[in-house]
Amino acid sequence: MSIRHALTIILALIAAPCFAQAQDEPPAVARYDFRYSFSAIDDATFDSSLQAPLPAAASMLKAPVVTFLQNQFLLEPSFTLRYHSRWSLASSVVGRAETFHGLSTAEFDLPPGEIAPSAALASALEPYTGTHTQFHVKEAYAGLSAGDFDFMAGRRIVRWGTGYAFTPAGVLDPPRVPTNPTDRLNLNEGRDMVKADFVHGPHALSFAWSTAALAPAGSNLHDTTALRYNILVRGFDTSLIAGDDRGGDAFGGLTFTRVFGQAWEMHGEAAWRERGAILLGAKYTTKHGISFIGEFYSPPNTAYYRDASLSPSAGRQNYAFLYAGKSRLRELPGWKQWDLSASMVENLNDRSYTAVLDANRRWGSHFSSYVHMEIPAGSKSTEYGATPYSAATSVGLRFQL
Amino acid sequence: MSNINRAPRTFPLLFAVAILLTCVLACCAATPDAEALLKRSDSYRNGWPSYVLRVKITHYESGKADEDKLYEVSQKGTEKTYVEFLSPREKGQHLLMLGDDMWVYLPDTSRPVRITPLERLNGDASNGDVARTNYAVDYSAAYLRTEKVGAENCHVLELTAKRKGSTYQRILFWLRVEDARPVRAEYYLTSGKHIKSATFDEYVTVDGRPQLRRWTLYDEIRHNSRSTLEYSGIAPRELPDKLFYQGRTDRF
Repeated sequence: MSIRHALTIILALIAAPCFAQAQDEPPAVARYDFRYSFSAIDDATFDSSLQAPLPAAASMLKAPVVTFLQNQFLLEPSFTLRYHSRWSLASSVVGRAETFHGLSTAEFDLPPGEIAPSAALASALEPYTGTHTQFHVKEAYAGLSAGDFDFMAGRRIVRWGTGYAFTPAGVLDPPRVPTNPTDRLNLNEGRDMVKADFVHGPHALSFAWSTAALAPAGSNLHDTTALRYNILVRGFDTSLIAGDDRGGDAFGGLTFTRVFGQAWEMHGEAAWRERGAILLGAKYTTKHGISFIGEFYSPPNTAYYRDASLSPSAGRQNYAFLYAGKSRLRELPGWKQWDLSASMVENLNDRSYTAVLDANRRWGSHFSSYVHMEIPAGSKSTEYGATPYSAATSVGLRFQL
Repeated sequence: MSNINRAPRTFPLLFAVAILLTCVLACCAATPDAEALLKRSDSYRNGWPSYVLRVKITHYESGKADEDKLYEVSQKGTEKTYVEFLSPREKGQHLLMLGDDMWVYLPDTSRPVRITPLERLNGDASNGDVARTNYAVDYSAAYLRTEKVGAENCHVLELTAKRKGSTYQRILFWLRVEDARPVRAEYYLTSGKHIKSATFDEYVTVDGRPQLRRWTLYDEIRHNSRSTLEYSGIAPRELPDKLFYQGRTDRF
């Protein structure tokens, strides 16, 4: 055998494994699992035709302010560390720096005589620029998973409600804002609580005790004890909720969601706290991926449910929420990176409403920009018509890691 | 007399019927069991009763990569799938499929949102393409024919949705004759529209089992668009039942 032949055989033997089918060793289970995310958002909001609120007769307005431009810069780091899938530590915080440009004055009293109050206020206001920094702890908790049980202690966002824009039964949920149901700047904060969950098959039982000791002043939160039983039966994702506010009322609630056919989802909530509140909603998805959401909400006009802008004597209010949106307009050439949506929340009693328009555009894997516009309508004595601007337009840039 | 006369005419008829019956039975016996083939083909994407894997999806527009997405899929049995979204823009999202029911957990709403079967089709590679890979559970199979795809001899199966949770109404599925390995697929909607095609491009042996490593989905509506799905980190794993609980609200 010549040297050339011998070399050929040796090379063939060396190369053979390279042509064999690739082999992958399954990765071992990691002891630690660390996940993180980071967002930086710059959001500028312009208010159009803004008016400073006028004081009631015979009273004084403390530092009336008209803000034409509010610029917010937000840094939002989050992480979760898990050890052996048993222990977990998680945190999500927000640092916010705000700059305001507008008009302000010290104190303003209704002038005597024939001068129109609004004209007097307008002449008293002077340009101002302000800055403000804040630090929010959205979530910070430690958890232990043991068999069918999960325990956690700390601050955590819990959402038991199934409503999109409203939630009468979500007793531990952050407040839903129907004009901003997705909390677009991620500013919602959790409640400080200890919570235990028992999950076995389709059954889940949760117990939570939340303290209001660390809640911001004037937040109207109480120490809350709540229990929730959740089960998925015949496609109905159903929960029963019961609880008690210390120094307040006991409450009970029921939530459900169910998908019907290929395109319909229905959800609802019923709650009893002094009086009954009800929410019914549905979502319909078209073949082209456009989603429509409609909700009807009827809360009693009690202190717990009442919006700050509403008179205590106004009686039960009824609201409607309508939404239409599509993420990724891939059917239109050049529009694949766009998401568009429009929604409207209406007070059915006073016929006032706010229309909301959102457009979002992705730029590569990390950046996106958006426009968010809120347009209230209705007479000045109505819930949404009393909003002191004719339109609020927010534009922003978001970076995500 | 008449009986004797009838016999020569009856025998050829009976003989012909017998021949025909034999041929039909022979043909039936030679037709592969479509359901068995489909089950075998599923094992290339579901190697263990309980496992985890990562899927990297790269979208291409006009041949140029324009977006990457990364998912971690945990599968238990044929009914429970949990998908964690890992790419920067989607971090914190989960997708849970329990039989025909499906939820997506969005960090901005901090709660699981029930989604409809039609929402499974969102994206070039839909939620169903990532999370619903046990075709034998979702579709009834019928054997159509044998034909060549490139150099491979393939069985062609017609799959028809048999439950609400199926991502597509109908699939034409080409499996290699030799080992029932998926080679090619065409996906159709209820309207009959041919929406996507797929080629199953690369396999790898994991823990002694051949598993799909890479496949490509071609958009049949917008012909310049395609997505590749690459699997990695495939491993059998004991997964707790509570991972598949719809009320889970962990951020990651």
